[in-house]
Amino acid sequence: MTPVLELRGIDKSFGPVQVLHDVSFSVYPGEVTALVGDNGAGKSTLVKCVGGIHPIDSGDYLFDGKPVQVHSPREAAALGIEIVYQDLALCDNLDIVQNMFLGREHKRGLVLDEDTMEEMAAKTLESLSVRTVKSIRQHVSSLSGGQRQTVAIAKAVLWNSKVVILDEPTAALGVAQTAQVLELVRRLADQGLAVVLISHNMNDVFAVSDRIAALYLGRMAAQVKTSEVTHAQVVELITSGRSGDLGLTNGVPA
Amino acid sequence: MRAGPSQEEIRRHNLGALLRHVHLGGPTSRAELTSRMGLNRSTIMALTADLTAAGLVREELPRETGRAGRPSLVVRPESARVYVFALDVGVDRLVAARVGLGGTIIDRREAVRRRGPFSLEEVVGPLAAFARQMHRKTRPDTVCVGVAAAFSGGVDRGDGVVRFGPNMGSVDVPFGEEMARRLGLGLPVAVGNDANLAALAEHTRGVGVGCRDLVYLHGDVGVGGGVIVNGTLLGGHQGFGGEVGHMVVNPKGRSCGCGSLGCLEAEVGERALLEAAGRFDGSGALVGRDAVRAVVDAADRGDIVAQAALSRVGDWLGLGVANLANIFNPEMVVFGGMLREVYLGSAAQVRSRLATDALPPVREHLRLRTSALGDDATLVGAAELAFAQVLADPLEVLARAGS
Ligand SMILES: Nc1ncnc2c1ncn2[C@@H]1O[C@H](COP(=O)(O)OP(=O)(O)OP(=O)(O)O)[C@@H](O)[C@H]1O
Ligand SMILES: [Mg+2]
Ligand SMILES: [Zn+2]
Repeated sequence: MTPVLELRGIDKSFGPVQVLHDVSFSVYPGEVTALVGDNGAGKSTLVKCVGGIHPIDSGDYLFDGKPVQVHSPREAAALGIEIVYQDLALCDNLDIVQNMFLGREHKRGLVLDEDTMEEMAAKTLESLSVRTVKSIRQHVSSLSGGQRQTVAIAKAVLWNSKVVILDEPTAALGVAQTAQVLELVRRLADQGLAVVLISHNMNDVFAVSDRIAALYLGRMAAQVKTSEVTHAQVVELITSGRSGDLGLTNGVPA
Repeated sequence: MRAGPSQEEIRRHNLGALLRHVHLGGPTSRAELTSRMGLNRSTIMALTADLTAAGLVREELPRETGRAGRPSLVVRPESARVYVFALDVGVDRLVAARVGLGGTIIDRREAVRRRGPFSLEEVVGPLAAFARQMHRKTRPDTVCVGVAAAFSGGVDRGDGVVRFGPNMGSVDVPFGEEMARRLGLGLPVAVGNDANLAALAEHTRGVGVGCRDLVYLHGDVGVGGGVIVNGTLLGGHQGFGGEVGHMVVNPKGRSCGCGSLGCLEAEVGERALLEAAGRFDGSGALVGRDAVRAVVDAADRGDIVAQAALSRVGDWLGLGVANLANIFNPEMVVFGGMLREVYLGSAAQVRSRLATDALPPVREHLRLRTSALGDDATLVGAAELAFAQVLADPLEVLARAGS
């Protein structure tokens, strides 16, 4: 299977500090790829490079197998990459429908009327079996953390994204909301999207992922199939960069 | 030698197949039915006409087309007119629902069941009352085409008697017969094991749609299951098949309600989790789904006793799933009932066990999923069982029900 998104040999520095070293990362359609690593390992930075927020210093960025240049969030979105950042970007003073169409109102010269927008938003939420939102005309400020994540994810689906990246979507949520977000993540992948899930919770990672990519001090220690590893191995990869045959030897992936 | 099927048998089969398509798939255009059923247009038209005349389906314009050109008529089930009663007898709850053709729950009533000695009257009485209340609210042109119940216990396929139910405290209960008598609708009451029916529900309407080989695990007080092999529920010789909760995973383990030691149910059931978490007080005050959720919640907040309890239970659960995976090579394992919460809260342990104990080619393509129907899985399964007759022989069943 060809990855829909593939990074090869990515380096990224902030001034004198190199944060990503020769990082390779592949994401496949229909799968959930968990991106794990300790605090400061470089997960969010990697995602911001994918999203065109940070320019990469060197390395290859391939989409659908073809090399591409991504210099801005707009260019990432045009490829079909939707990112829900750790510091979630929804507009509090707008309602759900407005948020789902934010920044997209004039795409392809299309001007949509309110009724159509409302219908499209409602259909998308319904297709994801989202039933906890009372009214789609509710202001986002009145939503719970889980509902906000849901709206952000639904936005990705509405715009036919191919890759959805979620940076710690469950970190601030209670158990019931986490369960709903995890099930939504799984459903997205089962519908054929490629999903990247960043999480520190190993139960969340094992519950829904097909692959696990472990970053260690800015290096990709290993990218493995979830069915092939144990919890203990993943914890070792996160904390020491290697586990048995897996992981880094002198800073180089096996 | 038997002759081939008669024209009449073929027609009956096709009527049932078409009705099943719209029952499960919702409003469908004739063109789509033609291609999906592999029949020609005029046959589809004739079948649709027969079902329409019987009042089982209706043809109308789709609500919106999104495409230019002449919209094609869609065939939709007469959900408001044709219905069944679905009953769910769980350890902690009794549910009755009126479910329209197409699977919509139109009306439902629910009561809490207190744990304690089993009494047939205490189960049948409230359910019959619920059904009567809902029946009174129906319009005169509606027709009930079946009744079925999901029961937390082992149901004998031969006579529909509940032979065992360690968590209900029931033995040899002629539940279906008594329920039918009390309902007085002139319809028999089909009875199935609740987890078996939930498995079928997830297979036809839930997360397992399109999946031919599936193992469903249902956590209530105990652990039930349903094994679907090549699209068919594995019933076994008498209908007791799929009791995965009584698979022994730990021969020197905890004692089980069935009399054995170390059954999967004894190691991962509600009581095992609550005891390990130090939350089982014996008074029965805090039990059920809420108590299980409270453990998962506490673990999430950093309670190390709750974390250890979940991790222990997840380990046994993973061992059970690894055994099932090796035996049945399913495409999917579904965690339902309270096992949804347990799986999500202990997936690291469950999958670690799979990685070490399941055969590599078996685990590689195995998909682990949580139930899509949630707490309604057993009820939806009962509804599907109740619809089985009308889907097998639509015109005959409707003629009988209408008379
Ligand atoms: N804009 C920036 N300028 C300078 N340094 C940065 C910047 N963004 C991130 N860093 C540094 O890069 C490193 C990786 O940070 P990053 O946010 O990618 O980690 P992370 O893996 O997402 O961690 P966490 O799990 O805590 O979210 C850290 O040392 C951080 O301080
Ligand atoms: Mg981060
Ligand atoms: Zn047992």
